Amino acid sequence: MSVNTSDAWNSLVDHAKALKDRHLKDLFTADSNRFERFSFTANNYLLDLSKQRITKETVDKLVALAHQQKLGDWIEQLFNGDIVNYSEQRPALHTALRQPLHSEGTSPALALTVDDQDIVANVHASLAKMESLVNQIHKAQWRGYDGSPIKNVVNIGVGGSDLGPLTACRALSQYAPQQARDLNVHFVSSMDGSQLASLLDSLDPTSTLFIISSKSFSTIDTLANANTAREWLINGSGIPVDRINHHHFIAATASPEKALEWGIPERNQLLFWDWAGGRYSLWSVIGLPIALHIGMDNFRAMLKGAHEMDTHFRETPFEQNLPVLLGLIGVWNINFLNIHAHAVLPYDGRLKHLPAYLEQLEMESNGKNVNRSGNKISYNTCPILWGEVGPNAQHAFYQLLHQGTESVMCDFIAPVQRYQGEGEELQNQHQLALVNCLAQSRLLALGDSVLEDADSAPAHKRYLGNQPSTTLMFDSLTPETFGALIALYEQKVFVQSVIWEINPFDQWGVELGKQVATSLLGSFATADDYTSNSSLDNSTNGLLEYIQRQQGGAKE
Amino acid sequence: MKIRVYGSGLTAWVAAVCLAKVGNDVIMQEIPCSSQKPLKQISAIRDEPDLLTQIEQQLSEGRLTRDTTQRADSTDIHWLALQPTELELAQSIVDNLAQEKPSSLLIVNQCNFGVGATDELQSRLNLDNNQAVVYIPDSLQAGTALQEFTHPNRIILGTDSEWARAMSKALVRPFSQNLEHLQLMSSREAEFTKFAVTGMLAIRLGYINELANLADELGVDIDVIRDGMGADPRIGSHYLFPGCGFGGQNFHDYIAKFSDIFQKKGNSSLLKTVIEENEIQKELLFKKLWQYYQSDLTGKTVTMWGASFKPGTASIDNAPSLKIIDALIAQGVQVNIHDPEALSNLKEHYGNEPLIAYLEDPYQAAKNSDALLLVTEWPQYWSPDYLQLIANMHTPLIIDGRNIFDKEALDMYGFTYMGVGR
Repeated sequence: MSVNTSDAWNSLVDHAKALKDRHLKDLFTADSNRFERFSFTANNYLLDLSKQRITKETVDKLVALAHQQKLGDWIEQLFNGDIVNYSEQRPALHTALRQPLHSEGTSPALALTVDDQDIVANVHASLAKMESLVNQIHKAQWRGYDGSPIKNVVNIGVGGSDLGPLTACRALSQYAPQQARDLNVHFVSSMDGSQLASLLDSLDPTSTLFIISSKSFSTIDTLANANTAREWLINGSGIPVDRINHHHFIAATASPEKALEWGIPERNQLLFWDWAGGRYSLWSVIGLPIALHIGMDNFRAMLKGAHEMDTHFRETPFEQNLPVLLGLIGVWNINFLNIHAHAVLPYDGRLKHLPAYLEQLEMESNGKNVNRSGNKISYNTCPILWGEVGPNAQHAFYQLLHQGTESVMCDFIAPVQRYQGEGEELQNQHQLALVNCLAQSRLLALGDSVLEDADSAPAHKRYLGNQPSTTLMFDSLTPETFGALIALYEQKVFVQSVIWEINPFDQWGVELGKQVATSLLGSFATADDYTSNSSLDNSTNGLLEYIQRQQGGAKE
Repeated sequence: MKIRVYGSGLTAWVAAVCLAKVGNDVIMQEIPCSSQKPLKQISAIRDEPDLLTQIEQQLSEGRLTRDTTQRADSTDIHWLALQPTELELAQSIVDNLAQEKPSSLLIVNQCNFGVGATDELQSRLNLDNNQAVVYIPDSLQAGTALQEFTHPNRIILGTDSEWARAMSKALVRPFSQNLEHLQLMSSREAEFTKFAVTGMLAIRLGYINELANLADELGVDIDVIRDGMGADPRIGSHYLFPGCGFGGQNFHDYIAKFSDIFQKKGNSSLLKTVIEENEIQKELLFKKLWQYYQSDLTGKTVTMWGASFKPGTASIDNAPSLKIIDALIAQGVQVNIHDPEALSNLKEHYGNEPLIAYLEDPYQAAKNSDALLLVTEWPQYWSPDYLQLIANMHTPLIIDGRNIFDKEALDMYGFTYMGVGR
């Protein structure tokens, strides 16, 4: 039986019908204690769901749905290293990446073994090796080919090997310790080399270290950039490739053989494992740029914050469980209120890259149309998700949120404290951002009913409201709260996958495009004059011919 | 005259002993006053040649006394030789003195507090009652500090008070035999002059080092270039010796402070660059070694001759040797060090680092060595027993950070030689 024919699901369908015509403003009128009722706190976080189109009954029914889907069992399977990623026949143990070596407090020590390997011990050995490299670089004792210390680190990676470290580094820059202040950390991902080409112009080969960050060490985007970087080093130095490999490249990978084959010696390899998905890997050695930027102590603090969120997720009743509630609210909006767009709106410029990070996390995890039994499903899963720093988005797509024809659910995300001990004007700027955050969610929910004489305005000045939103607040942005924030969304994604009966840990949908691209690459190589390929569609043939013709023309 | 000297560093001890030697009654007021160490344990004294003997002599003759009581007394002159970070302490000393001695109070400021600091101290006093501060910049050079104090060829007195000017002229009179210039100026101008001179010297050193590095790249001998430059009377040949970076506490403190002043006023970054480039220059010998061995020092043994920041002192403050040793041990290299004076300071700095051996004999230090790094140009290194040296070394490679060796001679003996810019 599929979830959408289950009792708990049907009960929610009926409930949604009954609630459909109730505007958020009416819900607030009917219940003056919505904030008390629908806001939840844990681990320095406040999750406010009072601006969602829900009643007490909705939450009860959603929790019943979670129980029906055996969410509790699934959580245990996830943490215990069971094969939750069935299509690739492996566990998804990103939670083990942030598990302390020794258990703290009353929770029992978790013994985790996969293929007879003590997972937690391996994780900590890998972190220790990373720490020793970080220390060497921070002490200016990692030497380039001419003996210069490293001043610039370039992370070459794409997807999970890029977005996680990039998001964390930009969010937590202020925590860079003294010894890391002179070290610049750069990120390069794009296949076309445009980021790398412009970056290399400003770097000195003698003092530049590249991190080749790739789980498989076969990602074409990353290897193309890595080859360009190596060519630049060789041309700039006149030094043989072996010495360049030894002193200017570190690999963060789960494929040591392939990294070695490319030329990176074992000494310069930091390893993680198959069972950590790329988009869940910033906690592993893929986080090397983070550790280089904010120091190993802060990196470990980030792991700690994530682990505390894990513990909360694992031990808290669903009714008070932040990732569970966040996931269930999404399911409610998507499957029962038919909302298929989700905006992520941090009101803090340091979280600039969070929307892009969550786009990958959510859409690559839950953008699926087949359930765990291999059957096509007939209900919606992951919505289209996008976002931007809130105050900037106010000048871009908020028009659509307020007056467009699409229903959109929003996540407003903001720290309470910022700029403590800094200039008064800066503190005022944070207050300004906070009041804007509150103003927007209020207006989206209630529409122009917040005004006294809204009815008299012409139609193009009216605000209909009833757009649901979640507000997520935390004390201040620190390595701990950042770690917790990411873990919160990771677990939210897992919760939804359990409700939808899908596997969030594979990504077969990104595979075929790579193969097709590889086969098309041959079309260019064959001849100067493009001869149309009968196995291709007419459009692709036409475009290939156009490119070939224009490039040929340019050569002459 | 009765003089009380405040401080704990080399400047303070040198002033105290030199002033005592010419007949003044000098009380040494050590900072912090609570911990009066045996003289031999004070590194500033231990590191400077002859200073300990002279202090002991003045103490035994009774002209110099060590005092920790800070009791009010009939002292005429108070001499401040505090650390650059101790401005607040100076202010509180001046405030107390202002109370204790309402008139005829002369305070000498010899501290590196920045331009305008003497004025600030003066503002705490009553100039009309002859409570005055005079700025006398130190001309301290570690290794020859006593000589520089007692036989200067120039003295600057910076004050805005006629009375203080007369008093301080009398104070420095015993040191005037070699004097070519006694310059009187305002305290601000005197402070600025001290910085300007130090900065100029640093820039010359930075420039010649940069030229030497370029000469390396272009295959030119910097010694020839240096001779050519030095013959131009507008330039002269002093402070034009390239090397593996300059060190020392006092020099560095003045340049850093002056660079700060520039930064704060939003002007030149010249001195900042000189300081940064000097830190890079300190690693030059390591880099040459690294390149010679193709970026792999695994299993190597390296000899270091000289570790003090310059010959004639045991001090290793800001010494290039430290940066080189750090780099070598980070690569797992065994480092065998000889220095006639600085070994005990090095031991204190590195503790029981297993990769470092401290040797009393320079040739022992060269045993089985893959390279000899000459870091400090102590006189005994200038003409070594080449045969013994080459017999002891595993690889006869000499990297000369002070250009003291004759490269043709070394070539004849079979050494591989690398200098700085030649």
